Amino acid sequence: MSKNLALSLALIGVVGLILAGMLVWNSQDESSPEAVGDEPTAQLVREDSPRLSEGEEAVFVEYLDFECEGCLALYPVIEDLRDKYGDRVEFVVRHMPLHDNSVNAALAAEAAAEQGEFEAMYQRLFDSVDQWGHQSTSQAETFVGYADELGLDVDRFRADVNDPATLASIEQSRQDAQAFGVTGTPTLFLDGQRLEPTSVADLEASIEAALND
Amino acid sequence: MTETAAGSEADFAHVQVGARRLGALLIGAGLIGLAAAIVLLVEKLELLVNPDYIPTCDVSPILSCGSVMTTPQAEAFGIPNPIIGIAGFAAVAVVGGAVLAGSGFRRWFWVGAQVGVTFAVVFVHWLIYQSLYVIGALCPYCMVVWAVTIPIFWYTTVYNLQHFQGSTPRWARQSIEIATGYHGVLLTAWVLLVITLIAARFWDYWISLM
Repeated sequence: MSKNLALSLALIGVVGLILAGMLVWNSQDESSPEAVGDEPTAQLVREDSPRLSEGEEAVFVEYLDFECEGCLALYPVIEDLRDKYGDRVEFVVRHMPLHDNSVNAALAAEAAAEQGEFEAMYQRLFDSVDQWGHQSTSQAETFVGYADELGLDVDRFRADVNDPATLASIEQSRQDAQAFGVTGTPTLFLDGQRLEPTSVADLEASIEAALND
Repeated sequence: MTETAAGSEADFAHVQVGARRLGALLIGAGLIGLAAAIVLLVEKLELLVNPDYIPTCDVSPILSCGSVMTTPQAEAFGIPNPIIGIAGFAAVAVVGGAVLAGSGFRRWFWVGAQVGVTFAVVFVHWLIYQSLYVIGALCPYCMVVWAVTIPIFWYTTVYNLQHFQGSTPRWARQSIEIATGYHGVLLTAWVLLVITLIAARFWDYWISLM
């Protein structure tokens, strides 16, 4: 056996053993608290997930990406549904950023949420996506401009955008999405059930059904 | 993932990576890369024709080409990456065939080949970074491309470096000696590093499979 082959095999053996060992160790670690079942690792909705309305009879969750065409198309539909059902249905937004500037957009929305203006930023981002979407350069400064126009405290907004905790909450959202099998946007859940509506009427019928339960 | 053909022939003092070994590696890796690039392009076309098409490599949220193929990174130079891959890997396989057939190339040809494989390996590592840390998903066919591009770059480089043995300053000569003498070990370490990064990045997912 040549020295190259022998050393390579040894290297593969060592790294393989370490990885396999850690994997087994961690999965055992993981399974014990899970058996107790008090801390599920993934949640469809978290306490800090932004809400667009506070109705209490049903929970509607949209995993979205501010830069996704499908989400933009759905936006006016959701606005209508919020008008109609907002007092009875809780509309929750969760982030699943998949495009160049969607993380920046999600950060902007979360930073606005820190000042109680999630809804305004949410609308502003969708309304002006043709100005900032599908650009390969960072649009973070554009979003600071939006914050300014919405009358937010710009310094605080910048600080929140740059706060690692804000990014962590978006990453958390993305991990939750993956855990629930969300592979694209928009993906909708109503009372924990995944919706696959084929039309606006379809979507409305699902909400009606949930409310009449 | 072991490196290919770490055989015992061609153990001359200064020629660790001979033309035969390089030629065979370029043909093998080039053809595998070509196949992966063709599959990716076909999947991409299917997806363009039918946006609801589920690519054959969408295994799970983490292992999925659908989410990776539709990102801007999948068209880094304005055209779909697989097109670059098809042209590049076909060229690699042909060069491998020529080397194996005993063709001798002029120096400028090897300079061009080195520029090409260097571009490829830098591009692939940018894609690895994007896939792991920006997109957050692994596309199986893309990983085949990563897996063959690294040895293509490495063995072309080692082969070319051998020509500089003896004619350069001492530190450079020693580096070249290490690179050529331990070519298999260094390649293995490189590949293992990428595997470790993949393992670490999606650790929770791998655990969930256990």
